Amino acid sequence: MTHARFFFRQLVLLVLLASPLATSAGIIVHPSVEGRSISVTSLRNIYTQRQTLWPDRRPIVIFVLPDNHPVHEAFAKEKLGLYPYRLRQTWDRLSFSGMASTPIEVKDENEMRARVRATPGAIGYTSKDTGYEGIKTLRLE
Amino acid sequence: MKASRRSGWNSLLLGGLLATSPVWADDLASPRYHIQGFAAQGLIGSTNNRFFGDSRDAVSTEFTEAGLHGSWQPLDPLRLSGQVLYRRAGESDRDGLRLDYAQADWQFYQTDVTQFGLKLGKVKLPYGLYNETRDVPFTRPGILLPQSVYVDNSRDLLLAAPGIFLHGASVREYGATDFQLGWIRPNFDSESVEYVFLGNTRPGGLKGKGALGARLRWDTPTDTTLMLTYADAKGDYLPGSLDPLAAGEVRFRNWLASVQQRLDTLTLTAEYAEPRLDLRGFGALPDTHRVVQAVYLQGEWRFHPAWELMLRHDIFYRDKNDKNGLQFQAATGLPAHTMFARDWTLGLRWDATPSLMLRAEYHHVDGTGWLPGPDNPDFLSREQRWNMWLLQAAYRF
Repeated sequence: MTHARFFFRQLVLLVLLASPLATSAGIIVHPSVEGRSISVTSLRNIYTQRQTLWPDRRPIVIFVLPDNHPVHEAFAKEKLGLYPYRLRQTWDRLSFSGMASTPIEVKDENEMRARVRATPGAIGYTSKDTGYEGIKTLRLE
Repeated sequence: MKASRRSGWNSLLLGGLLATSPVWADDLASPRYHIQGFAAQGLIGSTNNRFFGDSRDAVSTEFTEAGLHGSWQPLDPLRLSGQVLYRRAGESDRDGLRLDYAQADWQFYQTDVTQFGLKLGKVKLPYGLYNETRDVPFTRPGILLPQSVYVDNSRDLLLAAPGIFLHGASVREYGATDFQLGWIRPNFDSESVEYVFLGNTRPGGLKGKGALGARLRWDTPTDTTLMLTYADAKGDYLPGSLDPLAAGEVRFRNWLASVQQRLDTLTLTAEYAEPRLDLRGFGALPDTHRVVQAVYLQGEWRFHPAWELMLRHDIFYRDKNDKNGLQFQAATGLPAHTMFARDWTLGLRWDATPSLMLRAEYHHVDGTGWLPGPDNPDFLSREQRWNMWLLQAAYRF
């Protein structure tokens, strides 16, 4: 891409970033997931793999960003109240003993949104509370 | 750091704009199988006694662990999983490549808050906090597990065995609880286990008869874990040719209590066990009943997102009623210090990247109670006080 186009895009992004739409991290789920909000306890039970089904008994599919991704660090600490290394320990102990699947790791937020959109029962998170087509955002209570 | 974060933001924001492009196909749904693995190499040096190879006043490279783990979910309630393990631990473990476990888990009842399942095959045995993943370096609190409770000498007995387990779990406002209850055919058939039960390698062999295992776990909303494990295993001795021993029976019973408290970056752990060992009908060996005492206290501190410090005090008495081993010494003429071990451990962990971990550990040990027999065949050349350092690099994928 040309430099001019690149800078134009950067400018557009700056405007988007500065707009009041950009708020704190959001919990995103596949549109098939029922409800409009989720409790902190439920979210923690899901991400520590103690709750494996949605209330309608459909399997939960967990998506995560890499352990050292800033958005993952923020999500783990602020939403779950857990450090990323504790989550990793929990997942490792469950998966290597054959009791649960490891959450599916995606490389960036782009892939996160695409995979959550494509996977029934999926849950994930993004850095912004913005709405995206084909994805449902849950309110944290 | 700054640069990478900035480029991270750029790609994230650019990505946001491009997200509407239709490059994503619908094969992005969750996969039904997963493969993961690890490989680790250790270096060990020690004074006075050997641990996992010729480590005395030298460096042993004979501590290698590597595993390939796979799981497959052909149906939502059914999970097949297994692990192939390569392990070398000095003279104590020369088995090389082996099938660690292979199990099928069928979750026959599931709601969002409760689940019950049945797992069968060569199943992982629930035993305390760390046993089920004891060969995965990343999941251990140190390079070595506390030897009092997780004695590497009798690891074959605790790893995995053919059998069946019923398990259940629930989440409620008082926290998460789960249980496991099962019957297995235990594996007594190893040189190290013979050392533990019969004091030496014998012409014949021990064969597992049956064992009952149960574990209860409660994770409270205050980040406390309370756990109780029970095990009762029996084995038969099949005498070899020209064997002074008769066809006796060994029995191992154990209650293990575990407590862990997680506070911000601090993890405090304690486990206490009183394994009971019984020998009956061996002829040349008298019938014995012995109560072992094993306990450790451990603190782990993540002082930086990638760095962790660990301090542990680990105590092991081979006979609760003869802690200093003096009665044993008077009766057998063998050194009293083979009856106990008190270990101070200091460890440092660095997660250099999400897939590479480096560790260093120092042990100051008083006693030879859990010293690996096959690495130190001569009882009389073992020394009471010894030190040991270990380094380990572990990679995962």
